[in-house]
Amino acid sequence: MRKFRFPILLAILGLVFTAGFTVAGNKTLDGPLSLGETAPKATVKMANIDGRELSIADVKGEHGTLVMFSCNSCPWVVAWEDRIASLGNAYQEKGFGVIVINANDTEQVAEDGLVQMKKRAEERGFNFPYVVDATSNVARAFGATRTPEVFLFNKQGKLVYNGAIDDDARNPGKVEAHYLKDALESILAGKPVSTAQTKALGCTIKFRPKS
Amino acid sequence: MYTTRLYIASLLALCLACSGPSQKQNTPEQAATKTIAAKSVNLVPATAEEILHAIKNANTNVVLVNAWATFCIPCREEFPDMMRLYDTYKDRGLKLVLVSGDFEDQAPKARQFLAKQGVDFVSYIKKGKDMAFINGLDPRWSGALPATWVYDAKGQVHHFWEGKATYEMFEQKVLDVLNNTANPPSRDPS
Repeated sequence: MRKFRFPILLAILGLVFTAGFTVAGNKTLDGPLSLGETAPKATVKMANIDGRELSIADVKGEHGTLVMFSCNSCPWVVAWEDRIASLGNAYQEKGFGVIVINANDTEQVAEDGLVQMKKRAEERGFNFPYVVDATSNVARAFGATRTPEVFLFNKQGKLVYNGAIDDDARNPGKVEAHYLKDALESILAGKPVSTAQTKALGCTIKFRPKS
Repeated sequence: MYTTRLYIASLLALCLACSGPSQKQNTPEQAATKTIAAKSVNLVPATAEEILHAIKNANTNVVLVNAWATFCIPCREEFPDMMRLYDTYKDRGLKLVLVSGDFEDQAPKARQFLAKQGVDFVSYIKKGKDMAFINGLDPRWSGALPATWVYDAKGQVHHFWEGKATYEMFEQKVLDVLNNTANPPSRDPS
């Protein structure tokens, strides 16, 4: 009997260990969407600041689609916000779909409500949609972890870039690598994106409880 | 200035080390109100490699590493719980390695916050670009703050998570390492 029980015990131990290792915080460590994948939850309608209901599929651009998880409350977003506005506006003009998604739970961060989003978009001059992920499930499906975090899809709808806007949130003048701009330009030039995955410090997404 | 600060910090550390075992444990209330002067906070700019070096050379039973920033709300919220945990378990060999992700020009604010929280040991602030720093500390880390790691005496990481924790969760992870890792470092019998 003992030798039959032992593997089961091992399996249970393994499960407990894995669970303890990966499901420790607010998120599991599934990691974000992989390069080459298409946008999940692309047809989920989300409330935009202009009163329309928009999905990622609705904004799809001729050259590709820029999806950014962002919010009002995060200091890293604020530090990058002028660049978010200028890049978003410029590349929407150039034929990219642009959608900025706020997945933060307003129960946890009141500042991330739709009214405040509208005000922020006006102040910063966003000419692109800024929508509410009302269940946080779009962010979950993307495996997004922080704000701001960029997912850039090419003309074929494949993920070609995931990560930060550039390599210096605080000092626009000290940016050495313009990750997002370079990725957008690579798509326009029909070239592969040279730096396809980057990281930067940011705020955790304040996910709504799973429903 | 820097060496003076280091010297003061070492003196402080020494004092703490000798008075540690005889000190009574702080109650949570006392811990929460224990503050120190901002100018005496030892906040050292460090690369990921330097921080990993500090973790692996901590020569203690368990090291809790926490990446935080002054303007990260969940980081601020969990901080007192982390300090309470430290006060409860430092006699069993818990060390904290606190890593501020604040922008360089925010270092004075970080120092003020650490002072208010009563951080009387050396802590670190990110040096250099984000991506090298994040991947250097842990390739699994997305860069979201707060992020926490629990290392054992041998410098092996046992737990890692992103996002805010409760006191109970910090305690559970630290106890897991304290109770389940073999061969804690040998201690000077004196």
